[in-house]
Amino acid sequence: MVLRSILLGVMALMLAMTCSAQVLDDPAEEARAQSLMRELRCVACENEPISQSSAAIAEDMRARVRAMISEGASDDDVRDWFESRYGEFVLFRPRSKGVDGLILWGGPFGLLLIGGVIVFVLARRRKSDAEPVMPEDV
Amino acid sequence: MIELGHLAAFLALAASLAQGAFGLTGARALAGRSAHVAFGVMLLSFITLIVAFAESDFSLALAANNSHTLKPMLYKIAGAWGNHEGSMALWCLVTLGFGAAGAMWMRTGRDQFEARTLGVQGLLASGALAYLLFASSPFLRLGPAPLQGAGLNPILQDPALAFHPPMLYLGYVGYSFVFALAAAGLIDGRIDRIWAKEARRWALAAFIPLTLGIALGSYWAYYELGWGGWWFWDPVENASLMPWLIGAALMHSVVVTEKRGSFAAWTALLAVLAFLFSVMGAFLVRSGILTSVHAFAVDPKRGMLLLAGLLVYGGFALGLFALRAPKLDGGKPWQMFSREGALVTNNVVLVVAALTVLLGTLFPLIAEATGRTISVGEPYFRLTFVPMLAALLAILPVVQVWSWGKADLTGLWKWAAGGVGLVVIFLLLGVGLWEIPLGAAFGLALGLWLIFGALWELKRRAIVLVRVFKLPLRVWGMTLAHMGLGVFILGAVVETTQRYEATLALPVGGSGTVAGWNITLNDVYAIEGPNWYADRADLTARKGSAKAELAPTKRYYPAARMPTTETAIHKTGTGDLYIALGDRRDVDGEARWVLRVYLNPLIDMVYLGVLLMGLGALFSLWPTRRRAADGA
Repeated sequence: MVLRSILLGVMALMLAMTCSAQVLDDPAEEARAQSLMRELRCVACENEPISQSSAAIAEDMRARVRAMISEGASDDDVRDWFESRYGEFVLFRPRSKGVDGLILWGGPFGLLLIGGVIVFVLARRRKSDAEPVMPEDV
Repeated sequence: MIELGHLAAFLALAASLAQGAFGLTGARALAGRSAHVAFGVMLLSFITLIVAFAESDFSLALAANNSHTLKPMLYKIAGAWGNHEGSMALWCLVTLGFGAAGAMWMRTGRDQFEARTLGVQGLLASGALAYLLFASSPFLRLGPAPLQGAGLNPILQDPALAFHPPMLYLGYVGYSFVFALAAAGLIDGRIDRIWAKEARRWALAAFIPLTLGIALGSYWAYYELGWGGWWFWDPVENASLMPWLIGAALMHSVVVTEKRGSFAAWTALLAVLAFLFSVMGAFLVRSGILTSVHAFAVDPKRGMLLLAGLLVYGGFALGLFALRAPKLDGGKPWQMFSREGALVTNNVVLVVAALTVLLGTLFPLIAEATGRTISVGEPYFRLTFVPMLAALLAILPVVQVWSWGKADLTGLWKWAAGGVGLVVIFLLLGVGLWEIPLGAAFGLALGLWLIFGALWELKRRAIVLVRVFKLPLRVWGMTLAHMGLGVFILGAVVETTQRYEATLALPVGGSGTVAGWNITLNDVYAIEGPNWYADRADLTARKGSAKAELAPTKRYYPAARMPTTETAIHKTGTGDLYIALGDRRDVDGEARWVLRVYLNPLIDMVYLGVLLMGLGALFSLWPTRRRAADGA
């Protein structure tokens, strides 16, 4: 896996040097490349994905994404490669591994579940003598 | 002159302390008068600040650091609040303004409650004023005065951004009055229907400018940053979204308290939280603890003071809440399937959505403490925040016909069938015919579903078409806001999934094609403004018989040594052709200009939707003839 990423990376680098930042011919591949560019962080900017940044390094990073995609790399291959090169910081879509990953990704849905259970219990407790009343305005 | 303003600010502090003392001891009339005096002297103080900026009085340190003689007058004036100290002065002014407005327009018939509200508002204002005068004074002199100022941050020199901070502050600070109402209600131990009627008006009065302020900021980011996007899930944007979500939850919950007397404790809690989230937003933006593209005027020490203030307000209000909430009256009984049940679901989702934004915004900080540097961006919110709200909105047209207490569920299967049918149609069309992502197809179905739901609600209430204009304004307000959500979703889904972006590098005289638009670079020439010089590209874009002249510009502000992008936007009727001018590059010995070209379909619907939400809130706030009569 690691070896493959490195190989892909080297190929991508070579490709990036030879061809300029041109759009990929296959529209499906280009769409995938663009969506990946939106979730990779430009390492030289404040808080921008590489799809938006005009920094030189962002241009190199874009070229690399396109080169890897056209070489047949999967989305995860691209993410892995960028993570191994620049660290987890580069991913705008953080990994879900570990305890903090669980809090980050599970937290919102866990809270929703807890809220739902509380509301359900509250509603059951006071259902007995409810009477329908039409709202007069809102 | 500015010394007069400085003195006036001290008088405002004294008057607001008096407002606090009179208010909490129950002297309604005296507290009201103090509120008016405090606002009056603070207004005077703020005017002296504006005059100093307008006159470019660089003996004032703040003007020297943030203004420049060559700036246009609008930005000289806007410069007064385009910096930390000035914006805190604006915060104080607006806080006192809400106190004065409250003293004039509160109509509960409960003198002691109103006095206490003014008292709490006075203490909130005193806190802000003390922070202004002792920790971030805008009134300090500089000796000797420099001949020229350092200039306002160039990206802030824009009409939309001149009015964005005042709008946003009207919203943030508006919630301070809602907070005061909740605190006074809790001290009284009465969060009832009369309380809710009053609180609802102020919650709406804060929600409208907050909505417009966020929209202005987003529109500014769209055309000034030159990235083609309108929402970046940036920490500073998130800081304004959180109080908005809590405010939206409050707006719904307070109606239940007003109409049924239920949810009293919960509504009071939301009223408190809306302001706490606003102050937290100010803390996050001002302290500089988060990396952001928007952050300006950052200072960690002041951040700590704001955090301390947040803890004091929060501790006081939540402590009061814990003490009084169990004693609040429970209201009329209701079942899960009822208007109350629907609105409590709305509240749970909106509050969890706000907490999700909070988690995503703060998580990089927490992770950093454990030694990991991570980023949380758009993909995270797309996978958590968006599905949550989508599920909530999907049930909106169904549940808005439900009665209080207990809903009549006999027609439910028709709604379910209609909704499922619509989704299936769009999934088939979307995935089969148009080849768009699954989520986008669902989003389009949802947008239309909401618009249909709003129209259906108008029809259902009016029964016959001609009566639709005789419906109460509050019904129109609710319906317009919900329709605005639908319009917004259609625009947002189409824009984010169908946006097309490409980069061209053209020599003068060259042309290139982006998505059917043939773009010719006729010329690039230098121009000069009052306090900047610039390269302006002269472009012609053609597609079929359509033709547009565009002039994207790259400005350079020598005073701040900073460039800005002035994008060129051509409205095609179905979206924007959006071009930003980049750098000049040498390619094979030939000079080429980099152009970033975006096609943003239906972008106007995003803003139209938000405006409809604001308009809906305004309709809901508008006093009816009956209320005006018993108010007079």
